Amino acid sequence: MTTLTEPPVATAAAEHGSREPGRRKPTASDLVVVLAVLAVVALGLTTDRFVTVANAKAIVTSASLVGIAALGLTLVMIGGSAVSLAISQTVAAVGMIFLSAQSLGLVPALVLAIVGGAAITALQGAVVGYAAANPVVLTIAASFAITGIATGVSGGSSVSASGRGYDHLNATPGGLALSVYVLIALVVVVEWVLRRTRFGRTLYLVGENRPAARAAGMAVGRTTAVAWAIAGALFAVTAAFTAAFNTSANVNLGGTLTFDAIAAVLAGGTPISGGRGSAVRTLAGAVLIAAVSDILLLRGYSTGVQVMVKGLIVLFVVVIVHVRTKGRHA
Amino acid sequence: MRLSSLTRPESLVPLVALGTTVVAFALLPAYTDSGIASFDVYNTFQIFARLGLVALALGLTMIAGEFDLSVVGTYALGGMLAVQAGQDSWATGVLVAVGAGAAIGLVQGLVIAGLKIPSMPVTLATYIALLGLTSSLSDGLSKTYSNASVTLWVDQTVLTFFSPRSLITLGLFGVAALVLGVSRWGRELRAIGGDRRASRVAGVRVDRLVVGTFVASGVLSALGGALLSFSLGSANPDPGVQPLILAAAAALLGGVSLAGGRGTPIGLLGGMLAVALLAEVVTVAALPAYVTQLFYAALLVVIVVIDAPDLRNGLVRARTRLRPPAPTAPSTRNDTGALHA
Repeated sequence: MTTLTEPPVATAAAEHGSREPGRRKPTASDLVVVLAVLAVVALGLTTDRFVTVANAKAIVTSASLVGIAALGLTLVMIGGSAVSLAISQTVAAVGMIFLSAQSLGLVPALVLAIVGGAAITALQGAVVGYAAANPVVLTIAASFAITGIATGVSGGSSVSASGRGYDHLNATPGGLALSVYVLIALVVVVEWVLRRTRFGRTLYLVGENRPAARAAGMAVGRTTAVAWAIAGALFAVTAAFTAAFNTSANVNLGGTLTFDAIAAVLAGGTPISGGRGSAVRTLAGAVLIAAVSDILLLRGYSTGVQVMVKGLIVLFVVVIVHVRTKGRHA
Repeated sequence: MRLSSLTRPESLVPLVALGTTVVAFALLPAYTDSGIASFDVYNTFQIFARLGLVALALGLTMIAGEFDLSVVGTYALGGMLAVQAGQDSWATGVLVAVGAGAAIGLVQGLVIAGLKIPSMPVTLATYIALLGLTSSLSDGLSKTYSNASVTLWVDQTVLTFFSPRSLITLGLFGVAALVLGVSRWGRELRAIGGDRRASRVAGVRVDRLVVGTFVASGVLSALGGALLSFSLGSANPDPGVQPLILAAAAALLGGVSLAGGRGTPIGLLGGMLAVALLAEVVTVAALPAYVTQLFYAALLVVIVVIDAPDLRNGLVRARTRLRPPAPTAPSTRNDTGALHA
């Protein structure tokens, strides 16, 4: 699936090698990548009950919620705004909005949640885009503000659903969670937006070189704000599914989602510096992390080991992607 | 010139942050029945000691233009190792924790300096991995520290306001201030944070300094974790995200810029004390916790605005446009203007 739209890895490495035959050895990193992939595949094949339909469903289901939020973060990262550290808090607040609006019906509640998530996040994106504010500091500030307001409004207690409409989001058509279909549809849409629209191409340029994009007369501020707005809408989709699954929401609903989403984007090979990356890569990253966690779970390793390996995967991919792309973008 | 010296953020930001919180602290009797007890001051320093070393560790890497997200991972691991290896002797526990912190910092520093990778994704990965490692060391459970005499010792009252734990933390801030103030490391650290290529050309051993900063960060975080575990009498495998966010807020309130090249250990001390004072004020005045959150948000938004280059340039442009006889000085940055003059 990933080979359809990604630049083939081998060609990229060959280009790299021919242009800069200097001190780095692309063949070495090629070998490392091939060995790593083979090792994961071998581990999976030799793991009892890994190659079953039920297990594949479990993997994609566990990847879906993080994956949707990570898609949003992908746009933020491609646009050169590094990361948002307010994802968990946004998801928690939007989840609370979603559940308390259930009395209006599912669709209005969903619309309200998505508009809310997009607005909260677009506001941050506008400050980052127009004023070149530091996204890390700004989103830390936003995370405090969102949690503070959410706690103040809710009185610190959990919000439970005011209707039963949310239950439709827990449906499993064809035996697969609805969130999986939504994830796949959103990957297609986001990938299309990134590759085929003017906005998408501008976003890559803004992320690659902000001063140049500005000098070229591009709408740097607007492009960034729109990217963050879409990201916020995607965080809201994750929030709706998470809240529907938990049937109640409080300020801790987001859990460790911020770092899980960043891990998925980075594990897909999107560099934090911006200008590169794709929706399909992020999907691959989310599935990779879910699959490896699943292998470890089936082999009886504790949650701690699963989390540790997740960190090591991210570290490995970050280093490999950096080493492989450095020459081409120097 | 006058404007730039008035608004120099490395002194202005911590002064404002500390000033605001000290005033809030001094006004405590106005909204509680009792006056300020010496216990309140002691407690403030205890809160300070809880996160101080993590904030110092993170702040030092930020001055060097890096961002060590792994500090809280090392903090958790250090606390766990100190408890597990230090059941019989606290010194062994501290040594193991600090050794692990140094090793983690060394590996990260070598990877970041050697491959010239942005530090945030690397340290984020390490952060996740370290939390996992800590959790697998204890099967995800808290571990109790049975050496009660150590627990009593680190938190006993010293000189009315302090405990050995807060004095050690304050002392390490002092050591950092002294080392960076007296040696050329302080200047060089800011130099590599401001413009790495220029400092390399000027003869600064950039890679060595980056590795050293990460080692210092690892050691400080692990020690902070060890002290916390001794104080609580247990080690928690998952400290959550809050310590990281608070340490980052403390560093930013300490006048450090995420862009690097700015800040001092004394500023960091001010920022961390402001965070601790605020926490104490909220506790004593029994304010709802979300007030703290909103207060942090407001402070950080001010910092964002001070630091946002395009916003600042826009304001400067707007101001120069308002004055009819526009000076010939470039409207972009005050410091470059000063260099030309």
